[in-house]
Amino acid sequence: MRHGFELCVGVDPDGVGKANAAFAGFAEAHAIPAGVRRSMNVALDELLANELSHGNAGRQAGSLTVGMELDQERVVLTLTSEGPPFDPLRRAAPDTTLPVDKRPVGGLGLHLVRELMDEVRYERRNGQNVLVLVKLLAGGQQNDQVEAG
Amino acid sequence: MEISTRTSNDVHIVAIAGSMDSTTSPEAQKALDGVLAAASKVALDFTQLDYISSAGLRVLLGAAKTLRASGGSLRLFGLNPSVREVFEISGFSTILAVYPTEAEAVGDG
Repeated sequence: MRHGFELCVGVDPDGVGKANAAFAGFAEAHAIPAGVRRSMNVALDELLANELSHGNAGRQAGSLTVGMELDQERVVLTLTSEGPPFDPLRRAAPDTTLPVDKRPVGGLGLHLVRELMDEVRYERRNGQNVLVLVKLLAGGQQNDQVEAG
Repeated sequence: MEISTRTSNDVHIVAIAGSMDSTTSPEAQKALDGVLAAASKVALDFTQLDYISSAGLRVLLGAAKTLRASGGSLRLFGLNPSVREVFEISGFSTILAVYPTEAEAVGDG
């Protein structure tokens, strides 16, 4: 069985909040394991905050779309946006070994996304930037067991 | 997100419930700024924290820097496995003092 939803957040300043709310309802309705849901929550927040703050110069309303798909094995998040080709994943990973007072503030978000997801890929498709994030359900079940123990 | 504060052993404990993300972090920042203005020993109760993204980590880093500069301390406890995973990936588990329980976080050790 396959379930999913699609949401246009456009240039809505509360787009992150609306996407979070839509995903929360979806996760609850389909009993997505807490560990998987939380990883998706983080990825969604990082990518939308990134898109809505930096990536939206000149974007038309409605041209940023969040798609979510669930089957027996995985949750797939697809973020589609218009604009010139831009792959946020190519940004270099930050140095996470620096002491607290030597750390530049920020720059961690995409690193978190790459590490939390099982698969992350960028595609240029029909003149649009498409980010596909995959999280396997098996990892989340393990996470839940740790929490229960 | 809900924030509540209490004190124990002259430690100001700030409980943050819900999420610390790009939507809620400005509010967490404001609440922590208020606590930091009056306290030097601060513990964050994450027992009811669902998830944290980099926007939330930035707030924690700012609080840690402020307290370090003023000679205070910041301790955290009650992290769920997902929050702990984000701490490990980001390196925050090595730069912030994370304790399993409130008793350990507010103790002298």
